[in-house]
Amino acid sequence: MSKRIVVDPVTRIEGHLRVEAEIENGRITEAYSSGTMVRLLEEILRGRDPRDAWAFVGRVCGVCTSVHSLTSVRCVEDALGINIPPNAEWVRNIMFCTQYLHDHVVHFYHLHAMDWVDVVNALKADPKKTSELAQSISPWPKSSPGYFSDLQKRIGKFVESGQLGIFANGYWGHPAYKLPAEVNLIGLAHYLEALEWQKEIVKVHAIFGGKNPHPNYLVGGMACSISVDDVSGINAERLAHVKQLLDQAKVFVEQVYIPDLMAIASFYKDWGSIGGGLGNFMVYGDLGENGYKDEKSYKFPSGVILDKDISKVHEVDLRKDDEIQEFISHSWYEYKDGDKVGLHPWKGESKVKYSGPKPPFDYLDTTQKYSYLKTPRWNGHAMEVGPLARVLVGYARGRQDYQEVVNKTLKDLDIPVTALFSTLGRTAARGLETILVGQWAMEFYDKLINSIKSGDTRMADTSKFDPSTWPSKAVGVGHSEAPRGALAHWINIDDGKIANYQLVVPTTWNASPRDGNGKLSAYEAALIDTPVADINQPVEILRTIHSFDPCLACAVH
Amino acid sequence: MPTPIKEAPTYYDEVRRKGYSRREFMQFCTMLAAYMGLSQAGIAQIAKAMQQKTRLPVIWLHFQECTCCSESFIRSSHPMVADILLDQISLDYTETLMAASGFQAEEAMKNTMTKYKGEYILCVEGSVPTDADGVYCMIGGKTSLQILEEAAEGAKAIIAWGSCASNGCVQAAKPNPTSATPIHKLVHGKPVIKVPGCPPIGEVMAGVIVHVVTFGKIPELDGMGRPKAFYSKRVHDTCYRRPYYDAGLYVESFDDENAKKGYCLYKVGCKGPSTYNACGVTKWNNGTSFPIQSGHGCFGCSEANFWDNGRIYERASAFPGFGIESTADTVGKIALGVTAGAIGAHAIMTNIRKHKMITDLEKEGRKSEQDLENT
Amino acid sequence: MIHPDSVHKLRRVYVWEQPVRIYHWLNALCILVLIVTGFYIGDPLAILSSREASAQFLMGWMKLIHFIAAYIFLFNFIFRIYWGFVGNKYASWKNFIPTNKKFFREIWQVLKMDILMMKGKEHLSVGHNAVAGISYFLVFILFLLQILTGFGLYAATSDFWLAKMFAWVPYLTGGDALLRQIHHAVMWLFILFTVVHVYLVFYHDYVEGRGEISSMGGGWKFIEEEVFQEMKREAAAKKKKSPQTAGGTGFKSVPESALKPGTK
Ligand code: HEM
Ligand code: HEM
Ligand code: NFV
Ligand code: SF4
Ligand code: SF4
Ligand code: F3S
Ligand SMILES: [Mg+2]
Repeated sequence: MSKRIVVDPVTRIEGHLRVEAEIENGRITEAYSSGTMVRLLEEILRGRDPRDAWAFVGRVCGVCTSVHSLTSVRCVEDALGINIPPNAEWVRNIMFCTQYLHDHVVHFYHLHAMDWVDVVNALKADPKKTSELAQSISPWPKSSPGYFSDLQKRIGKFVESGQLGIFANGYWGHPAYKLPAEVNLIGLAHYLEALEWQKEIVKVHAIFGGKNPHPNYLVGGMACSISVDDVSGINAERLAHVKQLLDQAKVFVEQVYIPDLMAIASFYKDWGSIGGGLGNFMVYGDLGENGYKDEKSYKFPSGVILDKDISKVHEVDLRKDDEIQEFISHSWYEYKDGDKVGLHPWKGESKVKYSGPKPPFDYLDTTQKYSYLKTPRWNGHAMEVGPLARVLVGYARGRQDYQEVVNKTLKDLDIPVTALFSTLGRTAARGLETILVGQWAMEFYDKLINSIKSGDTRMADTSKFDPSTWPSKAVGVGHSEAPRGALAHWINIDDGKIANYQLVVPTTWNASPRDGNGKLSAYEAALIDTPVADINQPVEILRTIHSFDPCLACAVH
Repeated sequence: MPTPIKEAPTYYDEVRRKGYSRREFMQFCTMLAAYMGLSQAGIAQIAKAMQQKTRLPVIWLHFQECTCCSESFIRSSHPMVADILLDQISLDYTETLMAASGFQAEEAMKNTMTKYKGEYILCVEGSVPTDADGVYCMIGGKTSLQILEEAAEGAKAIIAWGSCASNGCVQAAKPNPTSATPIHKLVHGKPVIKVPGCPPIGEVMAGVIVHVVTFGKIPELDGMGRPKAFYSKRVHDTCYRRPYYDAGLYVESFDDENAKKGYCLYKVGCKGPSTYNACGVTKWNNGTSFPIQSGHGCFGCSEANFWDNGRIYERASAFPGFGIESTADTVGKIALGVTAGAIGAHAIMTNIRKHKMITDLEKEGRKSEQDLENT
Repeated sequence: MIHPDSVHKLRRVYVWEQPVRIYHWLNALCILVLIVTGFYIGDPLAILSSREASAQFLMGWMKLIHFIAAYIFLFNFIFRIYWGFVGNKYASWKNFIPTNKKFFREIWQVLKMDILMMKGKEHLSVGHNAVAGISYFLVFILFLLQILTGFGLYAATSDFWLAKMFAWVPYLTGGDALLRQIHHAVMWLFILFTVVHVYLVFYHDYVEGRGEISSMGGGWKFIEEEVFQEMKREAAAKKKKSPQTAGGTGFKSVPESALKPGTK
């Protein structure tokens, strides 16, 4: 007999995700992923000034803050034929890398770690042994026995107080937690350190974009002018600050995040064969060494992998009418031409229509529509997007930097390359690309410095900023690789106003409901066959779902 | 207030343990007090509260939002969020950070609601969609409206984080398709502290919490329900580019020569003159910068309805009903043209229709003139 | 009966007392200054200057002048309201606020005659006619609105208790943005009013010949002796019936021929 369980709210994610799963003999046999909140920003954008769109869509998400704004200005620039100056490219890329460094670290420690690290068990650790262990895996200075014992005391008192706060009601003591107490204590210590560090790295956004979350962007470039000989803009002091922050981030990633990731992963190798799911991966690509328009120079190369076949990488075309389409057969939407058709985003529609059960309810009717996410498809295929997709495509494209980090990790953990197609692989891939991004950030920083040195101080091209210079009709598409995966926005501009604006978002790809042919999307596919030891404490579901780093506000927008 | 916990370290203990001196601790208290606009007595009060232990239970709900308010909260540098979470409050429910999921999460919330009835603080991030019986935001099979009502019932006070909870923010922008509604319109009979901003500054959020923890009461609010400490000044009045504004020196287009010199951003749409927020003083990310310092105008993200208060790069707002390009000036100029036309027509008609009257007057005048001649 | 060929004997009537005249021109001047500076505040010019910002204060001056004019405008307005209760009958508030049916009848009359130029009994007012009266009333409301929005915007930047008294205004509009928009839009209403107002003053002078324009200078208007007598009779009759209500209006009959278009 199968039993249906519901996890709602799925916490430690962005937004409102509900998972329903059928469990039979301790394994998941059916899974349903539902987004239960919607804001309809696409409708709100209609009729507005395209130059303002970045600010609206920036508010799609404060966790992957800035990626929607970046994608939006790219999309408007594409429509209007605007070329931005090189400095703006480098600044945007540095901000992009900053976002990754922040988002991935925060995801690992604050949104994902508690699936693997037993906080309460950390109290049993021996501080001295913890210190030895910490020093054996990393040169990170904060690792003395005194440091760990102080922390332990602090947490001890916290737990004794009976007010467990954010740690209340966790699945502590669940048999699926396998770390020794010392590793748990390290994990907890770095949870707090990462919390302190994350507020530093985002200062890069504050310097170029004025604040974080939600830094400012500008159609045509960036608003932060360069004033090398003036205190008013980006000058040597500001740039030195950026450099220092990037340096610190690199150290934190290499000395804290990655050693922790490897240490934890080494105890959970069984998760290298759980949660693989679709086996189809897609990347739009980003971080051009010569700018956004030079797709060949992308640090994140684009491409599609089908059916785990990394010997072949297919090309992606965002403009082709029948390549990327969104379906609504299980989504609370309606299309003019009915529920069966798929629409390319340039023809996209966003008319919501709820048809689920009347709240309060216990279960969704998953035979009908059951989510506020649409279901995007690439040539009819469901796709997984995100760190794992990027690492696989880079690897499959034979890129040396990717192969180095991937092969080293596989060797260190002593796991086969097929173990990448898993929950563990997804979580590891996120760490690996963070190493690369940390290095690339410095490259783009150097490019910015060299460009300024050579005398180019342009930061924005405003020759087409005035709406009177625009054609009466224009269409555009902009893409990026958001931390959670391939992101693109499509715009139709009529008479200087937005006629249609459509976002197809990473988490929409991953967390969408099945399509009209019953084909599952990434989350649902990854959950199938996952073992669940205790249906009342489904930590395994959280592990796989969290390995995607869900962002539902993004997904529904 | 929950009973103080004997053994738990006080905030002061923690600060000392980190190697700060008592003097530094007092400086921190002084800074916090200055922040909240308090007098000398207030400093002592803060210092005392930070040496006593009370962890205030807090429930933090998430509705229609983007989580950037939570993100901003964890950016706070003073006090730091780890310290707030471990020492000052007991954050018993927040979907973003809590370990528990599903019914264990809901249970954690219920426990706090019953155990600390009338004592917990309810924080709300996000707006509540009221259209279609609330189905546009559902958690655990319930609508956000139902959840808010239940959680507000036993709350001591409510904090509405960010523009979403204080004024509806982006999802409430026209045409507000889900009827996104701010919190103060839905709960009554409870104090609601609005902390607007998209997002609010991390230190401001932390400051509001610390105020409640320290004094056991909510900060003084202005007529719109915002803490006076952070929202009583316009960005414009605390902006370091103000001398350029007063001088009449403006950036005419982005990245022009004037932009490189850091002139005022008024003419590229800065809404600092109509925006109440602490950005110019507190700044962002531990004082690193704020929008204007990084060359972009303020777009008024802490003001109610700022998404519909006009376009980002235009000074004047669109005139309602005349399309996004039209301002009061466009309409005014048209009206002036029409008026001039009407006056012209009226003047012509006067000379036709009242010809007799006018010629009579003229005749009368001429007659008098001739009478004068003829004497 | 006025005969077209007759030469009228004119009577001097003291209509606008000196305080009203001073009020009027001070008000007109303030509004002119407020419009000019207001336009600048709303959309400052691009000035090219290499002088240090500290050596310039253009916007600062504009705003200073705007605020000084604003204060004068406010006190002048308050004074006019006061004078509406103590001044002569032409200055009385009763000329502005419709209190009886007659007022509305007169409005229709004036609209018919002056605006639509229809036939009818021509109407004469020594002070304001009813349409002028009610439009000044509306303009007074706009003055009030402009004072509320202006001082509402100003309150946050001033320490003066008087300005601070308006600090509640932004709460009504949910913030300064809408307040500014209203403030800016109302400026246009003043511009439109002024244009129409000045035109109508000239119009009346032109078609009536009673010294309308100069009346705001010296205070006098000149009405025909016959009209004067007729009005006197009317006033006496009214006094018998009831204590005097509104003042300053009367009727004169105009022969049909005077209203025929063209010179037949
Ligand atoms: C006939 C009367 C007035 C006119 C035509 C007028 C016109 C204007 C205009 C056009 C603006 C620019 C608005 C914009 O587009 O941003 C402005 C701003 C302003 N006016 Fe007036 N105004 C008048 C009376 C007043 C009064 C009585 C006050 C009272 C103090 C006042 C205070 C202000 C303030 C505070 C501003 C905003 C200045 C700033 O940017 O800080 N105005 N006015
Ligand atoms: C060249 C400019 C102007 C001239 C020649 C002028 C002339 C006059 C005259 C003759 C009157 C008396 C009208 C009557 O018989 O009803 C009058 C009244 C009035 N005018 Fe003007 N005016 C001028 C400009 C303005 C301006 C700029 C304003 C303000 C926007 C203004 C506002 C008023 C008001 C409010 C009254 C009623 C006066 C009272 O009873 O207090 N005028 N004006
Ligand atoms: N899904 C998603 Fe995002 C990301 N990364 C963006 O496009 O999280 Ni909020
Ligand atoms: S107020 Fe703005 S920043 Fe905060 S959750 Fe809402 S949209 Fe995000
Ligand atoms: S930049 Fe904006 S806030 Fe600063 S002085 Fe200019 S208008 Fe005011
Ligand atoms: S846009 Fe917002 S962040 Fe501050 S400067 Fe303006 S209030
Ligand atoms: Mg979409």
